[in-house]
Amino acid sequence: MKLITIEKLSFCYGKLQILKELDATFMRGEFSVILGRNGSGKSSLFQILAGVQKDYHGCVKINGIERRAIKRQRASDVRIGFMSQFHQTTFPFSVFDVVMTGRASFTHFAPRAEDRQRVETVLKQFNLWVYKDRPYTQLSGGERQLVLLCRVMVQDPDIILLDEPTNHLDLHYQVKVLENLQRLTSEGKTIICIMHDPNLAFLYGERLFLMQNQQLRSLSQLSVLEIHQSLEEAYQVPLASVKHGDRNLIIPRITSNDF
Amino acid sequence: MVLLFSLALGSTGFVSITDLLYHMYARCASAFGLEISVSDRNLETILWQVRLPRILLTFMVGAALAVAGGVLQAVFRNPIVDPFSLGISSGSAFGAALSMLISLIPLNLSAFLFGVVAVVITYFVSYTGSRGSLVTMVLAGMIISGVFTAFLTVLQYLSDPYKLQSIVQWTMGNLHTASWAKVRTAVLPILLGIAVILALRWKLDLLSLGEQEAIAVGVDPKIIKLVMIGAATMITASSVAAVGMISLFGLIVPHISRMLVGPSNAQGTWANILIGGTFLLLIDDFSRTLLPFEIPVGVFTMMLGTPLFIYLMRKNAINWSA
Repeated sequence: MKLITIEKLSFCYGKLQILKELDATFMRGEFSVILGRNGSGKSSLFQILAGVQKDYHGCVKINGIERRAIKRQRASDVRIGFMSQFHQTTFPFSVFDVVMTGRASFTHFAPRAEDRQRVETVLKQFNLWVYKDRPYTQLSGGERQLVLLCRVMVQDPDIILLDEPTNHLDLHYQVKVLENLQRLTSEGKTIICIMHDPNLAFLYGERLFLMQNQQLRSLSQLSVLEIHQSLEEAYQVPLASVKHGDRNLIIPRITSNDF
Repeated sequence: MVLLFSLALGSTGFVSITDLLYHMYARCASAFGLEISVSDRNLETILWQVRLPRILLTFMVGAALAVAGGVLQAVFRNPIVDPFSLGISSGSAFGAALSMLISLIPLNLSAFLFGVVAVVITYFVSYTGSRGSLVTMVLAGMIISGVFTAFLTVLQYLSDPYKLQSIVQWTMGNLHTASWAKVRTAVLPILLGIAVILALRWKLDLLSLGEQEAIAVGVDPKIIKLVMIGAATMITASSVAAVGMISLFGLIVPHISRMLVGPSNAQGTWANILIGGTFLLLIDDFSRTLLPFEIPVGVFTMMLGTPLFIYLMRKNAINWSA
């Protein structure tokens, strides 16, 4: 079932055209992954979907409602959680308090018992309850990423947008974060993820997109060879295909005659 | 307790706690229509006309400056800002002095208006382009603060000796001119501002994570930010209008609170009220009793605040990232 439909979306950052007449659809309950070069407009698309950036042209509909018309601080039928890149905070808030800020749109004043309950449930789900009193600034990059994911989760979103959730993480946390995301899709959440590692995208993503030339191309209908060629073209790197079970992974092809 | 202690303490000598309690009992009793002879008329005047208004005003100002500092640090996501470093204090001081010189608009209003002007200029100077860094903001605040201080100097230069004296005394931070009239003008804006901040204090943690992080969880930070900065400016300006400039108090107290009750603003705001109020009261007690003459309160803020601050900083080192 279609949840997000984008038609003829254009967006400029200053004079620079970032997105041009982009069309795309995202399905409910799927794990979609967006690949693409740095600065190709992936984050801009996310800002538009998350409602941070409203200065766009075209049509972005979520569950049939235009994005701009979805009001914040109101119980709408679709909740969107958004996790951006490069987050840092100056104040050493405890993990519990950081996650609690995710409930801010549910209450105007003091958090209620159900807000605390929700934070506790989510932290326990992600095995972070033992960290609840630790200062956020003392955590490792992977732990922080999980805490921010919890912060997004406490608002009980239907759609979760994640900008490079595995960035800066070691292999352990990469797998841990992605497994958690996979579990969430099995619980009916819709996840759209920006990623830089095509192989992790192949392993965990259900639907792949490639951001290139200000457009978002769906890779899911393409054959293995076509995907391979598209990625080679997008990343400007010669690739070699590696068979892994019934999947095809890729590695950069090192050409020794360069020397 | 500190309130009671401060009441007993004064330049006319220490009143014993039993005398004080007896006096208060007598006063309460007479309010209920009972005739109990009040032993000492002098004592009554000193307590009710001199010390009590001063104590109330001091507590309010201390709480106001501390709360304003805590709010500004959270909203600007910057642990090194305070009402002073963002230019509010200097702006308010200029506004107040201006209204002392040419009484076009009331002192309170003038102090508030120029406080707002100063913080708005600071904000726009430092927020060129997409994001302002913590350093540029403090730099901008210092420059704006300097400009208003310069204007204040110009005003002092232009004013006649009689007015000059009152302006100079007042910029040094003078709690000794406290009166019931001052308490009455300051109480409404300060209590109102603190009440607004208290009601919205749960949002401060969210604001200090950043604008995008607020939008990401479905909260529009702009309105809350404006309300918070407005309230902080109002209580700072009222304090400045009432007792003049007490520098660095609004910077130190939020840090002390944070070290004692943790970084969460929900508890921090209450801690700022209590610690700010009692701390300034203690400082004032010292400054009026330690020497035969009164030492300006600003001097003691630093002399008492600095060692305490250093001690707390060494004891529980807080992990500031970047």
